[in-house]
Amino acid sequence: MPAALLETKLYLPRPRVGLVRRPRLVERLDAASAAKLMLVSAPAGFGKSTLLAEWLAGEPAAPAAARSAAWLQLDRDDNDPTSFWTYLIAALRTVMPELGASELALLASPQPPSIQVVLTTLLNDLGTASGSIVLVLDDYHLIESHEIHDGMAFLLDHLPAHLQLVIASRADPAMPLARLRARGDLIELRAAELRFTPSEAATYLNGAMGLALTPQDVAALEQRTEGWIAALQLAALSIQGRDDVTGFIAGFAGDDRYIVDYLAEEVLQRQPPAVRDFLLQTSILRRLSAPLCDAVTGKTSGRATLEALDRGNLFVVPLDDRRHAYRYHHLFADVLRVRLTDESPELARRLHRRASDWYAENGDPSMAIEHALAGDHFERAADLVELAMPVARRDRQEITLRRWLELLPEEVMAVRPVLSNGYAGCLLTTGVIDGVDRHLRDAERWLDVPLEQRAGTGTTRMVVVDQNEFHRLPAALAVHRAGLALVTGDLSGTVAHAHRALHLIDETSDLLAVDYDLGRGAANALIGLATWTAGDLNSARDGYLGSLESMRRAGHVADLLGCSIALADIQIALGRLRDAERTYDQALQLVADPARPLLRGTADMYVGLSALHRERNDFARARELLAISTTLGENGALPQNRYRQRVVSARIREAEGDLAGAVELLTEAQSVYVGDFSPNVRPVPALRARVWIRQGRVDDVRGWVHERALSVADDLSYLREYEHITLARAVLAQPGTGREAGLGTHDQASELLARLLGAAEAGHREGSVVEILMLQALAYRLRGDLPAALIPLERALRMAEPEGYVRIFVDEGPAMASLLTAAAGEGIAPGYVGGLLAALGGGQDEHVTRPPATEALIDPLSRRELDVLRLLGSDLGGPEIARELVVSLNTVRTHTKNIYAKLGVTNRRAAVRRAGELDLLSRTPGR
Amino acid sequence: MGQTRATPGQPHGAGCYEIRVEGHLAKRWAGWFDGLKLIRQSDGTTLISGLVEDQAALHGLLQKVRDTGLPLVGVTRVEPDRGTGSTATPREPDNHQRSTP
Repeated sequence: MPAALLETKLYLPRPRVGLVRRPRLVERLDAASAAKLMLVSAPAGFGKSTLLAEWLAGEPAAPAAARSAAWLQLDRDDNDPTSFWTYLIAALRTVMPELGASELALLASPQPPSIQVVLTTLLNDLGTASGSIVLVLDDYHLIESHEIHDGMAFLLDHLPAHLQLVIASRADPAMPLARLRARGDLIELRAAELRFTPSEAATYLNGAMGLALTPQDVAALEQRTEGWIAALQLAALSIQGRDDVTGFIAGFAGDDRYIVDYLAEEVLQRQPPAVRDFLLQTSILRRLSAPLCDAVTGKTSGRATLEALDRGNLFVVPLDDRRHAYRYHHLFADVLRVRLTDESPELARRLHRRASDWYAENGDPSMAIEHALAGDHFERAADLVELAMPVARRDRQEITLRRWLELLPEEVMAVRPVLSNGYAGCLLTTGVIDGVDRHLRDAERWLDVPLEQRAGTGTTRMVVVDQNEFHRLPAALAVHRAGLALVTGDLSGTVAHAHRALHLIDETSDLLAVDYDLGRGAANALIGLATWTAGDLNSARDGYLGSLESMRRAGHVADLLGCSIALADIQIALGRLRDAERTYDQALQLVADPARPLLRGTADMYVGLSALHRERNDFARARELLAISTTLGENGALPQNRYRQRVVSARIREAEGDLAGAVELLTEAQSVYVGDFSPNVRPVPALRARVWIRQGRVDDVRGWVHERALSVADDLSYLREYEHITLARAVLAQPGTGREAGLGTHDQASELLARLLGAAEAGHREGSVVEILMLQALAYRLRGDLPAALIPLERALRMAEPEGYVRIFVDEGPAMASLLTAAAGEGIAPGYVGGLLAALGGGQDEHVTRPPATEALIDPLSRRELDVLRLLGSDLGGPEIARELVVSLNTVRTHTKNIYAKLGVTNRRAAVRRAGELDLLSRTPGR
Repeated sequence: MGQTRATPGQPHGAGCYEIRVEGHLAKRWAGWFDGLKLIRQSDGTTLISGLVEDQAALHGLLQKVRDTGLPLVGVTRVEPDRGTGSTATPREPDNHQRSTP
């Protein structure tokens, strides 16, 4: 976010006195109030801004159409999306101050959400606002960022009826204009309509400018300028006070020269030398103010000259009502600048240098850097950028920073290690890998050079402006090395560099004014990420714990919430549900300060807690927590929360027996899924496949297995563990020995489970171990080997009991009930098993919503009927089902009739739905 | 401007280009157009011609044309070392020489 907003960019220009009124165009604008977008698209000097100012100053056509107008004057810096959206919201706030505060806070946060999230919030705010608004974006052609164009297209798609966008531009914006046009959402004013008609030209020349031109002169001017307003203005200015007007007009009407250049020359020639010099020398400035003009020209007449130019209508445009700030009309400024750099390029450089110095002294480092770069004062620019870098990074202006650094000659950056390293960081944060290594090496080179040689001579001399950043450099370089290793998939390299960074921070801590907690936090988080991805969960946990500690010390609460989610995920995989709960609780305590604005990630903590309560079978509390998270809204959530929330909600529904609802929510979750750097260890499609298994949707499950290219014979890795466990579940759910479905046999599933168990144990992933042991018990039971089943079950129960797991067993329904009954008979963990059986049988605990799965059919389905039912859930026809089960078609029909009768349904689809409601298909067929 | 060879079909689209605009531009505008050569034509147009580093640089030039408000007549890539490009307008004899500094 820009350090301070420039109010002049939000100034709604007032129409000038003596303007040519243009009712034909104003009426068109008034009539277009239903269009979402008005596009005023024409080259420079066609009176776009002037027309809009006239329109907005006038009374609306109908009193009911009362509107407030907001204006945003764009410039090149606004290609940084954060800057663009911040200014756009600030412009809206000039007419609706109650709007957009939380959006601005979001944009300013260290980890801003996607622009869509910000815009969605903004649209919600706008939806509740009253009164209609016109928002003008002037000089939109300066915007080239695709990210911004996409955001604008999104905004347009969802624009409420009472907000109208007006874009003034020299080029058509990259938006779906044809679509908008076809829908009647777009009204355009283009050069053909904007140019002065002959009668407007006459009104202007003889009325506003007070020239007494003959109709022939007017016609000649109109023809030669083709109604181009800027040219007509310049012509009028050069005609004022001239004797031989007709001769002058004839002279340039027959001339091929670039008309604006030609006429500007005429206008300049007619100014006193002092004014002429002032115009040329200040043409390098984007905004004109008296003190700045004085600093640049070295004179003291800035105020008087600006006021005279304003009065004389000499192409200055006021930027506020107090007449303190102006700019030149762009076209005029370009012509002046060309003249200046052609006549005296050295003077132009000197002027830029003076402007740079003035801005630096007056607290605007950005403009100071722009002018230093424009005047080719690269050493100066490099000094300024180095000093501006920490703040620019904090304010997330990486895109601007990158542009500055890319304008510096290579040899200037190469001797400045702080800049080289900063540039590498910019590249990494903007997702570029190319060049990172080279610039890190440029910086590292200087660390190997002995101190006395760093001073060197001439161009090989090391340059450091910011000593504190230089002391941090070794560690900062190591952090960037670790980041580079991570994005290139080198996990062990990531860990090695991050450890080196931590070591370096310890070594240099006495040199630093402030401890480098952010560096520590980043290095530890990188260790956490890399070891997590590699499946080394204990190291990952330690990394994140260290990172949290550093961030707490640095006061970086926003990053802390994101880290807490990762840590809790790891703790859950480690089977430490209580630790995970503590992680969420502690994070919530830290953000509980009511004075603090709502932090993104707060809602995510509640979703995490909800998942833990679901596991404990406390659905009422789980739902309450989800509701809190929803109340906090997108403002309180990280982008990942949208899918996480749906996943938890789906799993509650699943546990309550609403399998179709769960599938629907999971499908939604997948559509809003956004990844981050964390490994995606519980992919949503795998979660959905698990529900399909319960529903008996064999073909869907098979489709998922093929899509993920899963096989019982796969090599194992932590990243695919959840999918492989799901595959084992899918195979075990197949009737018979599992061979028919083509996914593998029950025996192969058991082998897979044994391998998965070994891997999970080796990685200390006790959460996975519990589930795998539980599945092994079910697999033994399928074979009818109850004593063998009790061995893994007992292990699972002993591991699960202290952490309070419930659903992991109870979700398995009657098959698990019979196993647990047997375990109870053996006296295994009697208290715990009793509780689980109660949850399965239902009733005692009022929080426990009994899944309908336990609702018994009066007349249970036979094993064969269950087999048929399962296939009814597929898209196989009757004869194919018969073939599959190796029976006659008649037999299938008899079974089907019986199934319908027992389920109280009359068709296949209803039977499958009812089976889902009754959770019949998740029961493993008895053998 | 770099030392890029200007053969048509180069990966980044480097090459010699001629941009034709309506109206005569004074020599002093050469700097504005990155030092390219300005050649005034007898039909009242100006050719802005020279070596363009890549497609991005070409589009930057076209934006500068846009910002002057001069109507754009044509953009042509020309063979750098041969006599004529494909623009079918009479030209001054020396207008194919490399003009970049």
